[in-house]
Amino acid sequence: MNRTRFATLLLAPAAAASLAGCGVNSIPTAEESAKAKWADVQAAYQRRANLIPNLVATVKGAAASEQNILVGVTQARADATKIQLSGDQIGDPAAMQRYADAQNRLTLSLQRLQEAYPQLRSQENFQTLMSQVEGTENRINISIQDYNKAVQDYNTEIRTFPSVIGAKVFYGAKPMAPYQATTPNAEQAPTIDFGNSAR
Amino acid sequence: MLKRLALAASLAAALAGCDRGPPSPEAFARHAPALTGRVVDQAQLLAPADEQALAAQSAAIERETGAQFVVVTLASLEGRSIEDYSVRLGRRWGIGRKGVDDGLMLVVAPAERKVRIEVGYGLEKRVTDPFAAKVIREQLVPRFKEGRFAEGVRAGSDALAARLRSRMSDAQIARLDGAAT
Repeated sequence: MNRTRFATLLLAPAAAASLAGCGVNSIPTAEESAKAKWADVQAAYQRRANLIPNLVATVKGAAASEQNILVGVTQARADATKIQLSGDQIGDPAAMQRYADAQNRLTLSLQRLQEAYPQLRSQENFQTLMSQVEGTENRINISIQDYNKAVQDYNTEIRTFPSVIGAKVFYGAKPMAPYQATTPNAEQAPTIDFGNSAR
Repeated sequence: MLKRLALAASLAAALAGCDRGPPSPEAFARHAPALTGRVVDQAQLLAPADEQALAAQSAAIERETGAQFVVVTLASLEGRSIEDYSVRLGRRWGIGRKGVDDGLMLVVAPAERKVRIEVGYGLEKRVTDPFAAKVIREQLVPRFKEGRFAEGVRAGSDALAARLRSRMSDAQIARLDGAAT
């Protein structure tokens, strides 16, 4: 009896030590990492949104025609900035999809804008702004890759033995949703209607 | 009692060995060059004298500012965009100081006719997007179009070096470049 109690006593710290490597620490760490990466994604999108009013003003000043494309950009920007996703919502694929759809529509409207005004490419103001929009879109892509990698790590962590024990027992951990930057065939089937797309 | 002990012991044994090894480095391109120096001329665009001058310039910049500047020419982008390839290469090589993220890469892919200036997060206020675009537009592209690759790389590198050495404040640079803050 005495010997057994002693053994159990020894076992407790041993179990605690091995549990530490089994999801008790690694699950919240992976979760916080994914949330931080998601904040980077939103910051990059916000940075792009902040550039757009100046871009629209520049185009307006240089080319008065085709106002509806500009209206489309402004509208898409307003829609995109309305949706924010907190770290706790990134386990919700539907909310994630709404966010992505709004951002993707803005991406498309910016592409339309560039295509509509080829003559602006040689304009210094436009180049300055566009270089920043493009640079920001690169940052968006990188932050999405980093976020998706963190989500993959987290989802793997909570599903693989032995962390799966910690995930079930201690945290009730739910998988997180990866981010889909571009909808399939987005180029061929634009979802945005500028009002005069008679093609 | 013995049975419970055995169970606990086997559970402990099962839970041990949770340590996983470190993740293996990401393979992104089969023919990505190794970081052999401050100038990695995989596409063989540069004469030895150019390489030496560029390497000396890079060393001077690092001595004076701490920033790490690398010139890379690539034989192929292996089907990737130059933006994607450059970021992955820079991360694999670990250009720029940890925590400062002050790496700068001038990447040329002559086969795909692409060029890129990859800027670490820590240098974005010095080498702004509009400035990098201007260097590409005014220093690199016109010379590359005439096949004068080494000359273009030297001119672009000079412009970047001057900017890294600039005494201007971040705010002054933003105003000069027309960059959003």
